[in-house]
Amino acid sequence: MLDAVILVLREVLEAALLVSLLLALGSQLQLRWRWWRVAIPLGLATSWVLSHSAYAVAEAFDGTGQELLNAGLYGTAILCFIALTTLLVPTLRSSGAPHRLNARLLHACFVLIVACSMAREGSEIWIYFSSFQNAPAALSSALMGGLIGAGIGLSLCALVYYAFAFLPRRIFLGVFFVLAALVVGGLAMQLAKQGLQTGVLDSGRPVWDSSMLVSERSWFGQLLHALFGYDANPDMTQMIFYSGALAAMAIAAGFRFVSRGTRHA
Amino acid sequence: MRTPRLCAAALLVGASAARGEPPSFTLEIREHLFYPAELVIPADTKVRLIVINRDPTPEEFESYELNREKVIMGGAQAVIFLGPLPPGTYPFFGEFNPKTAQGSVRVEP
Repeated sequence: MLDAVILVLREVLEAALLVSLLLALGSQLQLRWRWWRVAIPLGLATSWVLSHSAYAVAEAFDGTGQELLNAGLYGTAILCFIALTTLLVPTLRSSGAPHRLNARLLHACFVLIVACSMAREGSEIWIYFSSFQNAPAALSSALMGGLIGAGIGLSLCALVYYAFAFLPRRIFLGVFFVLAALVVGGLAMQLAKQGLQTGVLDSGRPVWDSSMLVSERSWFGQLLHALFGYDANPDMTQMIFYSGALAAMAIAAGFRFVSRGTRHA
Repeated sequence: MRTPRLCAAALLVGASAARGEPPSFTLEIREHLFYPAELVIPADTKVRLIVINRDPTPEEFESYELNREKVIMGGAQAVIFLGPLPPGTYPFFGEFNPKTAQGSVRVEP
């Protein structure tokens, strides 16, 4: 049962933390549309379909289907986060709700980010539980563990939501930009990992090893991994992806900031 | 460790090395155990790890140290590229059965 608690908690945490962060952002920006009513069922349905196509996905593209699919999901989430931060730039100067078009685009980003994350993590949970289909006793124990894991994950996320939703808007947006940058960097490292795993990219020696400081096996390491893709011993390729994604995000947001500043002048 | 320690170098497919392709090594999953439990691979060499899951149930090959994770469905097999790695021992485990499915890659100069 403990295995199921840990596995489900690990998988639930990333998607749930993103949901709570984006819910807090929506609340801060006074967005009214309940985007999560679309994103969560979409994520659940996609994860179920992916888990039931796991054999076909794994065999596709010479056995690299799983990594290509993950890379696509990570890539989509990265692009959405970059779009999201760019759309947020004007809100730094105003206190009202975003323009209607911006609000629609923001909602589209929210839905895609959450659906991609849930599809990836959720399919693993479905696959895990499918291994108990011929062992009813073990299945009920695993389901109980899964419920506990999901409960812990969702409680943590409720805390995150309430911590962020009631921060003053300016402070929240500052914190959000920093967190978004860390999340994008983490997603880029995961994206690089897919290429390394399939041999498309070459692994190098680890740039550093911080496992003595924060081990990926520890609960804190797991939390950092779930939210920011923390890696105790990343290699140079991953660092290049990390820096590239952050640079793309900074350039996109910076360009919007400067162009708006020029228009206002 | 309960599982027999096999010298994985014996499983090296020499022909692929001769063609300049990364050498291949095979790992099997049987009854939620990895065979061999310790795989020996050369240092500073990119290798192709073939993981064959002989169980009817899925497993996830995962390693923090190797920085790899891949689901292998029941009765299926998967390819994971590793390295080039510096000498050392890199543990891995099966995330779906972490109590039994444990092993390590020993990288030798």
